[in-house]
Amino acid sequence: MDLTAAGKTFPPFEFRVERGKIKEFADAIGDPNPIYRDPDHPGAILAPPTLLRTFLYEPRASAEALKVKDWSYIVHGEQEFEYLAPIHAGDVLTGNERIVSVTEKESRRAGKLHIGVIETVFTNQRGEKVQIARRTLVETSQRISD
Amino acid sequence: MPTPSFSSIKVGDAPQPLVCGPLTRTDFVRYAGASHDFNPNHHDEVYAQRNGNKTVFGMGMLAGGYCGRLLTDWFSDSALRRLRIRFASRFWPDDVLTVTARVTAKHDADGLVDCEFTCVNQAGEVIIRGDATAALPR
Repeated sequence: MDLTAAGKTFPPFEFRVERGKIKEFADAIGDPNPIYRDPDHPGAILAPPTLLRTFLYEPRASAEALKVKDWSYIVHGEQEFEYLAPIHAGDVLTGNERIVSVTEKESRRAGKLHIGVIETVFTNQRGEKVQIARRTLVETSQRISD
Repeated sequence: MPTPSFSSIKVGDAPQPLVCGPLTRTDFVRYAGASHDFNPNHHDEVYAQRNGNKTVFGMGMLAGGYCGRLLTDWFSDSALRRLRIRFASRFWPDDVLTVTARVTAKHDADGLVDCEFTCVNQAGEVIIRGDATAALPR
């Protein structure tokens, strides 16, 4: 990883939180809650708490800026969310990404590690900050296997 | 499960555990489609084995989704203020995952409750450790 990438920011990306995507995601985590499906349910149709991670595979700029040599050496170490306001089907969100830090650490078991943290701040169509996601990617010096 | 209130919940309280599985490759593929996580280690047996794995393994965020499910079932749908998921080890087809949680602190000033949660496999190996904060009605 590029240890000098901390502080880099990236062009915003925009997407609509589709009702069908919420149901599909709830199905995939086996959650039968009607708030993810039934428009007549009070508070529906709400985004599940881990949904927004799914919109972070496509914008590649932040991950590419970490300059990873081989993605098969990368593990997703940690994922954090801060919930500032509810997100509903039909909301149009804008994500702004920033590399928070890139650090090096010596691990007795795994050797030298590089740890990158990418933060995404999501704002809705009314300009309200609704959620912050932080993902920690760990680059190991050996390929990930058992 | 009835939604706990801030006044009724106590440090050490725990919800009914959530049990998921035995997991199938189809569960992984369904999550791949829903989440756009198309890392071939999670759906392509040939690729996964060439990469040194015994077979495909599940996405950390699939187990993370199960953790979120336990917490929204427990605290109610919009109560979460923060969620942190730390991936400890991987899980495989046929694994049965169990998510448990317990209250670790209450903050009187703002009505917030902290909890920690764990997702383990059928052998008791930790797949995820995490912590969360929820806002509960007084």
